[in-house]
Amino acid sequence: MTESQPKPQTVADDKKVHGVVAEFTDVDSLLAACRRVRDAGYTKADAFTPFPVHGIDTALGIKPTVLPWISLAAGLTGTTIALLMQISLNGQTDLFEGIQYPYIISGKPFISLPAFIPVTFELTILLASFGTFFGMWALNGLPKFSNPMFTSPRFDRATDDTFFLFLDAKDSRFDEAGAKALLGELGGEYVEPVMEDDSSKVIPKGLLIALATVICLSSIPALAVLRMRVTKSGSPRFHIFPDMDFSPSKDAQQTTTLFADGRAMRPDVPGTVRRGEMDWDLNFKTGIDMDELASIDAPRAAQLVAMQSDVAVDDEDEVAPEEAADEEASAEEPAVEEQAAEEDTADEAEPAAAAETADNTPWLTENPLELSDEALARGQQQFNIYCSVCHGMNGRGNGLVNRRAQKILATTWTPPSNMHDPTLYSDVYPDGKLFSTITNGVRKMPGYASQIKAKDRWAIVAYVRALQASQDATLEDVPESQRSGVEKEQAEVQAKLKAAAEAEAAKAAEAANAE
Amino acid sequence: MSHKAVAIKPADDPAFQLPASLAGLSLPMIIGGIVALVGGAFFSNSAIGGRFGMSSYLVAYMYCLTLAIGSLFFVLIQHLSRAGWSVVVRRVAELMMIMVIPLALLFIPIAVSAYTGSLYAWSVEGYQADHGIPSVIWEQKELWLNPNWFVVRSLIYLIVWCGIAAWYYRGSQRQDETGEITITENLQARSGPAIIAFSFCTSFAAFDWVMSLAPMWFSTMFGVYIFTGSILSAHCAICLFSFLLQRAGAMRDEVTVEHYHDLGKLIFGFICFWGYISFSQYMLIWYANIPEETHWFYTRSTDGWFNVSVLLMVLHWGLPFAGTMSRHVRRRPWLITCWAAYILVLHLVDLYWIIMPEAGMGLGGATGIIATLICVIGMIALMLGLMLKLAAGTRVVAVRDPRLGESLAFENF
Repeated sequence: MTESQPKPQTVADDKKVHGVVAEFTDVDSLLAACRRVRDAGYTKADAFTPFPVHGIDTALGIKPTVLPWISLAAGLTGTTIALLMQISLNGQTDLFEGIQYPYIISGKPFISLPAFIPVTFELTILLASFGTFFGMWALNGLPKFSNPMFTSPRFDRATDDTFFLFLDAKDSRFDEAGAKALLGELGGEYVEPVMEDDSSKVIPKGLLIALATVICLSSIPALAVLRMRVTKSGSPRFHIFPDMDFSPSKDAQQTTTLFADGRAMRPDVPGTVRRGEMDWDLNFKTGIDMDELASIDAPRAAQLVAMQSDVAVDDEDEVAPEEAADEEASAEEPAVEEQAAEEDTADEAEPAAAAETADNTPWLTENPLELSDEALARGQQQFNIYCSVCHGMNGRGNGLVNRRAQKILATTWTPPSNMHDPTLYSDVYPDGKLFSTITNGVRKMPGYASQIKAKDRWAIVAYVRALQASQDATLEDVPESQRSGVEKEQAEVQAKLKAAAEAEAAKAAEAANAE
Repeated sequence: MSHKAVAIKPADDPAFQLPASLAGLSLPMIIGGIVALVGGAFFSNSAIGGRFGMSSYLVAYMYCLTLAIGSLFFVLIQHLSRAGWSVVVRRVAELMMIMVIPLALLFIPIAVSAYTGSLYAWSVEGYQADHGIPSVIWEQKELWLNPNWFVVRSLIYLIVWCGIAAWYYRGSQRQDETGEITITENLQARSGPAIIAFSFCTSFAAFDWVMSLAPMWFSTMFGVYIFTGSILSAHCAICLFSFLLQRAGAMRDEVTVEHYHDLGKLIFGFICFWGYISFSQYMLIWYANIPEETHWFYTRSTDGWFNVSVLLMVLHWGLPFAGTMSRHVRRRPWLITCWAAYILVLHLVDLYWIIMPEAGMGLGGATGIIATLICVIGMIALMLGLMLKLAAGTRVVAVRDPRLGESLAFENF
């Protein structure tokens, strides 16, 4: 067993020997032979049978396949890719800086696992199947268009009634004479060498042409699509789901013949209170100290009361003698506009509206909401949903919408306010006024009364104040216990900045030297 | 397939008889079971309250019923697919499936409760008014959910199940005596229609008996959800009983590693199926977020039920999924049997989680859980006792099945 022979061996007609094959007439002698070959130390041996034979793997010493592990690894890769992809596309990871786009959809959290599961599941299955399929190819050495075994004329019977045992010349223990002797000794009939397949490896021209034709033909659909994208057609588009494309339901701002006023969007029926909104705390709902307003500007107070409570005030009719009734008749909208306009005057001093009055509204200066971590967290969440798109996550007025508007040079765009402008601090811009701005809107900003509940609007006010405070915070604002940590961090950042500046300077100097 | 034929033992070989050690357990189990069942139901009724008590009974009932109809499905699908591997364990499934007949009798308390209003909210007088349900909707609901029609439907399900089970059981028994191949051919020929009837009955029974506990909630997937639980637990029970029978000395040479391996594969598959179905049901309702659909899951995501929901996800899907994934686990009979027993326990938790929140008593506390456990154990003991009694009079393997040889020689490739 120790003799070493030069390999691969060659025979007279210059063909390489691929291995040695022996025939067996029944399964039992084949299995016995397989065991003997295995015990003799051959690892590159193979058996060919007309039907599957149980136990032949162990008889040949074939180790269990690693394919399940490949499938598992591929499946887990799919899971990971799917989760990372979805999380990163929702802008919630620093893995892929530059494509961050934190945008809340349907009020669901950024990392909303139930919604991610279908994609994760599909990708896991897909990659696991690919892993299994192509892993099987790789382990079997596919694609393989020819096997030297087919050069043996007797080998056809492997699919009929004969069993073959084959010893590969690549095996380290292989030597032709020894292998032949071993197989003969094991009861193999017609022991013979198998020659390497020496037929031409050149791919036939016809096949190449056919392949090229198929590739050319397969580009036709893509070309057709491209053509359709740049040409016009006289016939209408084909609708697969006409009921979805032409829905009978009305869109916002459309008109209808169903109602006398022609509006498809219906205003609230006067006198109705939405579920859970039976709330008569007018200060809370307007951000104005109503008692004081009533004493300095009774008609406006009455008007506001009428707006908030619709019919209820009609009956009582205490604070609003006639004006309120007049205003009632012309519905809510003018009142809203008027109020918004009023704020404009205070804010921007627009000359047209300035005629009326300066802002003497007795705004609430304190947030009526009980301030707590919970309320702030709520405010942050709501701010990030509704406000951050324009005002930015940090309130500096550079949200995604604003950036886009700058990019396309939108002409009618009024940039959103920077929350950290001193004119918006609580001493000059009271909490109540901020609340009213969120409620009724200002300039390009629409009112959010219909979308954000009053309580959440106050929470946003609280959060905005916290944001403002955070930008001008000093070390004294930090609790004693945490100061050392902050100082340490500060020192680290400064060291980094310093290092960066030095590197920059060194670079500049180098550049100057080079010149 | 295989090159080696395995000798089939004669039909009267002791290996096919129920071991005496098990046969002797039959009577004590029946008596103990009845005592525990009645005692548990009484304890639950008196200690906690009417609806909770009946719900405990329903949990116990559904637990045994799902095992029985899961086994019925197992037998039907083996005939439908003309499976050879499963013949040695099919008798175990047949013994379990025939338990739908005693279970049909045990349905009586539930049928009565539909009239007294002690279990189903919809049968309580004034439910509509108390919950402010518009009468237009309630009239439609009442066309389906009224005690008489409920009982008639239940009878239909039970008759169909019992009929199919009895017919298949008798066929298999007759073949033990005669060895007629035509019997197998006949059983196979009827398995298609039988499986269709079975599917309708199972799905509708799940709607009627379990889903209608929350009468205003609906999920078309719910029938499949109950079905997945039953087929999963039935495979586990077959694995467990085969293992116990072998430990007691019966069918030692007949059931091999290969059969456990195949049962293990099916258990693994149906764990995935359970996860897939229960998540799909949750996902669709969670995403659509329609008020009338979400309340069922809302109940189960508040109070202590949230923890149970999470635990189910981890323990009913995650852990056994990873645990039974490997071939090495599935080819160790004692190991896969441990997993089977584990899943059978989790199946009970699953049913508790499905049924009990509707009783409106929260998790039920220690008292409620113990009362339910007594009920479940009583019901299981009763069923086991009856099964052993039946098994003592017959054989634990279908001894003259034409595919027995194939099953004995079966090898996974």
